[in-house]
Amino acid sequence: MSERVYEFLFIADPNLGEPEVDALTAQIQGYIEKENGKIQKAEKWGKKRLAYGVGRHREGSYVLLVAEGGAALVKEVERRMRVTDGVIKFITVRVDEELRKAEASKALRTAAEAKRRARPGASAPPAGPSVEEGY
Amino acid sequence: MGSFSPKAFSARGRDDKKAGGAGGRGGAAGGKDQGKRYFFRRRKVCKFCADKIDYIDYKDVKLLGPFAPERGKILPRRMFGTCASHQRTLTLAIKRARSIALLPFAAE
Repeated sequence: MSERVYEFLFIADPNLGEPEVDALTAQIQGYIEKENGKIQKAEKWGKKRLAYGVGRHREGSYVLLVAEGGAALVKEVERRMRVTDGVIKFITVRVDEELRKAEASKALRTAAEAKRRARPGASAPPAGPSVEEGY
Repeated sequence: MGSFSPKAFSARGRDDKKAGGAGGRGGAAGGKDQGKRYFFRRRKVCKFCADKIDYIDYKDVKLLGPFAPERGKILPRRMFGTCASHQRTLTLAIKRARSIALLPFAAE
């Protein structure tokens, strides 16, 4: 069974400088690796205005980490993020299933399109009369 | 009255038909058919079906924003014509975005 893929998106304290945010990111990456998680992507979004105040903050630096791992990984990383100063908010989302679904529907659509292109005009009209019969 | 009524017709049509040109003509032809009974109304097509967006990402504020304007309320399906399945995933995405302060819960 392949491992699950999670997105860890967290907001770092806006008062932290660029290097401090990098250090914090490295620290959390360390947590993930310690739990045998494989990091697929690390992305810094920079400072953004928050849609609502969190604590006393009006803005924050967003950092996105994408990692592969199991349920234990999420549990431990979330626990650690909760106690880490500098992380003011975080969210963990499991994405592998949804991405797989999206991939499947995309494949289905491209297949249907290829079929339609192969027989131009043949696939569109038959849909009409068959619907009209229903009335 | 065997006249062609594209309005009802396209509403019952399949997804691939909606994506095609049939929906666009529907309003005008229906108006001629029915006299002046209906105002011209553009047929609303699900944005996500039309743009072929498979995965509605909660991180994409630009995409989600118009569906939760002003007071931050999620707009009902009838406003944008989003299809049921996409409205469901859209709702989930907006709620996720809210929980990480990308979108507001309520206007301040």
